[in-house]
Amino acid sequence: MKPQPGQLKRISNRISGGGYNYRRFAKFAMLAAILLLLLACSTGRQSTWDPVGPVAERQLLLFNVLLWVMVAVFLLVEGVLLYAAVRYRRRPGQALPTQTHGNTSLEITWTIIPTILVMALGIWSVITLYQFDEPPASATNVLHVNVTGHQWWFEFEYEDAGGGKRIVTANELKIPVDRAVRLTLESDDVLHSFWVPKLAGKVDVIPTRTNHMWFQADSEKIDSLPAIFYGQCAEFCGIAHALMKFQVRVMDQQDYDSWVTNYGPPPTTTAQAQKGQQLFGQCVMCHSIDGNNDSQAQASRKEAFVAGGALAPAPNLTDLRTRGTLAAGLLDLNKENFKRWVKNPDDVKPGNLMQARAAHLYGSGQLSLNDNDLDALAAYLLNLQ
Amino acid sequence: MVSITGVIARPTSYSGLWGWITTVDHKRIGVLYGVTAFIMFLIAGLEAGAIRAQLAQPDNTLIGPGTFNRLFTMHATAMVFMVIMPLSASFFNFVVPLAIGARDVAFPRLNAFSYWVFLFGTLLMHASVLVGQVPDAGWFSYANLTSTTYSPNDGLDFWALGLLVLGVSSVAAALNFMVTIINMRCPGMTMMRMPVFIWMTLITSILLVLAFPVITVGLVELVLDRNFGTHFFDTSGGGDPILWQHLFWVFGHPEVYILILPPMGVVSEILPTFSRKPLFGYPVVVFSGIVIGFMSWAVWSHHMFTTGMGPTALTVFTITTMLIAVPTGVKIFNWIGTMWGGSIDLKTPMLFAIGFISLFIIGGLSGVSHAVAPSDFQQQDTYYIVAHIHYVLFGGSIFGIFAGIYYWFPKMTGRMLGEGMGKANFWFTFAGMNITFFPMHFVGMNGMPRRIYTYGEEFGWGWLNSLSSLGYVVLFIGMLLFVINLIQSLRNGRPSGHDPWDAPTLEWSISSPPPVYNFAEIPRVEGRDPYWTTKRRAEAAGQPVAGPEAPVDVSTIHMPSPSYWPAFAAVGVVLIAAGLLTHYGLSLVGGLIALLGTIGWSNEPATAPQSHH
Repeated sequence: MKPQPGQLKRISNRISGGGYNYRRFAKFAMLAAILLLLLACSTGRQSTWDPVGPVAERQLLLFNVLLWVMVAVFLLVEGVLLYAAVRYRRRPGQALPTQTHGNTSLEITWTIIPTILVMALGIWSVITLYQFDEPPASATNVLHVNVTGHQWWFEFEYEDAGGGKRIVTANELKIPVDRAVRLTLESDDVLHSFWVPKLAGKVDVIPTRTNHMWFQADSEKIDSLPAIFYGQCAEFCGIAHALMKFQVRVMDQQDYDSWVTNYGPPPTTTAQAQKGQQLFGQCVMCHSIDGNNDSQAQASRKEAFVAGGALAPAPNLTDLRTRGTLAAGLLDLNKENFKRWVKNPDDVKPGNLMQARAAHLYGSGQLSLNDNDLDALAAYLLNLQ
Repeated sequence: MVSITGVIARPTSYSGLWGWITTVDHKRIGVLYGVTAFIMFLIAGLEAGAIRAQLAQPDNTLIGPGTFNRLFTMHATAMVFMVIMPLSASFFNFVVPLAIGARDVAFPRLNAFSYWVFLFGTLLMHASVLVGQVPDAGWFSYANLTSTTYSPNDGLDFWALGLLVLGVSSVAAALNFMVTIINMRCPGMTMMRMPVFIWMTLITSILLVLAFPVITVGLVELVLDRNFGTHFFDTSGGGDPILWQHLFWVFGHPEVYILILPPMGVVSEILPTFSRKPLFGYPVVVFSGIVIGFMSWAVWSHHMFTTGMGPTALTVFTITTMLIAVPTGVKIFNWIGTMWGGSIDLKTPMLFAIGFISLFIIGGLSGVSHAVAPSDFQQQDTYYIVAHIHYVLFGGSIFGIFAGIYYWFPKMTGRMLGEGMGKANFWFTFAGMNITFFPMHFVGMNGMPRRIYTYGEEFGWGWLNSLSSLGYVVLFIGMLLFVINLIQSLRNGRPSGHDPWDAPTLEWSISSPPPVYNFAEIPRVEGRDPYWTTKRRAEAAGQPVAGPEAPVDVSTIHMPSPSYWPAFAAVGVVLIAAGLLTHYGLSLVGGLIALLGTIGWSNEPATAPQSHH
């Protein structure tokens, strides 16, 4: 029954078209495949292969174990399949093969073994599900953040960021290292999904429901602080879904505390910043800045609402100056990008609602603020000196 | 009432355009299904090409987000509902009556009706392109993005109404095949003697009849939400978007098996034929199909693992989903068992069948990795899932269907498909498929979500996406080779004779293409693989194997007559739907036409008195 070496060689020659050096080709192909696989597994900024916390780590462990089981099953079954296809190829003049109809003990064996295999994996994954549903009981001082999904940005509200201080921010979630963070997830409009691959698998953000998830960034797995981890909405949510990004900035406790302490409206020490603050009055029907111009903001919102203007929730800009990016993780935060974004938001992020909703600013087809105004706004919001 | 049918003379012609429009012959309807679905396959394939062109490199600006969203929505919707399902239906139509020794399906006119409704439903959904309001919310169109607030144009109405119309077609066809298989088997063909393809057709039909009402409920609710101010899914009125997901996937998971069981049946016919051995473990293959059919109802929430359903529900669906891998694996083992010890002829149908197994193994294994909920949390909605679905539906369903096309083409046309071109077609498709979809596993694990029209260079997804796009080119060449092969073979393919593969089942005992009446004398069978037994007995007795029956005068055989009414009633059905998009008056007209069609149909005898007796 064993295939003769010559026979295999004949077949390989037939496959490779005769004279070609099959072995050298096979070696080359193997090498290329291994190289490609290694390259493909290389980690990127949203790689699930590079976890920095216990949740993502356990999810990866489960996947890796599954992966190796899959690889083993793959090699075994494909190997047998390929062997059968080559070994039992029809030879000229071959008589009718033995007409077997089945084999009961084989059937029982190859039903029971996979059942045991998948059940073992299943039970382990179920244990994991319960274990990782909530932060461990040992985790004290869990940081709670409410996440709200919007088309197409994420809002973060810390009811108590530290010392009882309430903070509202967007698109950049700042968390202290080595502390469990528990998120509650809600949506203001359509379905989204909150996903920072290096910290935890995704959880959907659904209107009418409150979901939760937790994660933690471990200092031993992070080279230096502060560290940025990238996330992206993972549930199709409309025209700008691809551009709904965000970041998690992991800071040491001291940095985090100072961010909490300093959180507040931008200072208005320069004349330009004061002008910017005044101009910001045109933005407040959607954007807010805490603790500053509250009555003016409310009056302005009311005015817009009575006038039939669209009221759209937009990112709270109180701490914009402390963020790394603009426009939901699209642009690095600096003056040029800020001006570019405000001047022509549709070019930067097609589909975003700013241009569509702010008719008083963009109604004429182009922004009614001039370059000096934009400089002033940038000076104010980004606290440029 | 009889007078209605008297107004228009009963069609008598079997040829020309009217011959096709009024046909009730299951073989012709099978061809109609096949041709229509294949055209849709090419269109949806080109849509995929546009998607791959846009994603070929980072920060590409070839296609904007709006068009991109419309492309992936139409690509997937078409591939699922207008390509794979009707291609399977094409085989059901052509093969089932022949393989069970029947002269036609149980309800020939209902069969024609199913086809016309399918065609018109397809046209209705694609009419959205003509008016520039194309569906753009993905093939499972999750609520509440589908509400008029977030999708104001008519695209999703086209989508929902188109699918409702296609549902009518599917359910009618499925009922037809259930009745046909249960009632019209020739003498001696007991259930456990039926070819496995017939079994899979039966199971698929039962799944269809049970699953389509569920999505119909969802679609009707969606249409009501969008057009009549209800709030089933509209959160602003207290609706529940998760309800849509449950309705969609309670349908959607059986649907996955609706897409894969028929190709599994095809492969179960081809492997024994080209191994010259009966199917290994026939009862096990049949029962694992039945078990899959049952279990497909208990796994739907694994599509919703990330919706926050809590560890208890996750546990249930993790376990059921892992268990469904077992009967699937058992099928694969039995297929390999069939090849083991056989005398394998690697003709093109066999190549595609082996390709099916080898690719389906990959799709099945990656399926296990997201059956495990915690692992799936990282994979859900990424390109890893895109890779999985294409290994199952392209590597699985489409490869199985191509195997079937190469296998039954000689029976359908009397000509062989070119073997050399066929092999080239196979290898290009096989290579192209792997180059396109294998890298997607990695790009998904590297954090690329599905349904994004652009990505930055800094994510490191660029070269893997370029590789996928390159794979598309290879795949494209493979498909081009198939089309050329098809045209060449139709024109001057080698005559096949009635039994080119030395096949075991009844359809090969009659001439190619089969006569209108299929069997002049209804066969009587004594076991599985009846034609195989006949041939081997003759050989053992040293007698020549009897050829196909000599043609007989068709007028001596009781056959259903052609009819205008199925196509007529189908026009009514699609007008009802079209009216909801334009003017309700049109719906009324459509309703009247459908009613008239049904009345005319029911008053018309199946066989016209003046034609065959």
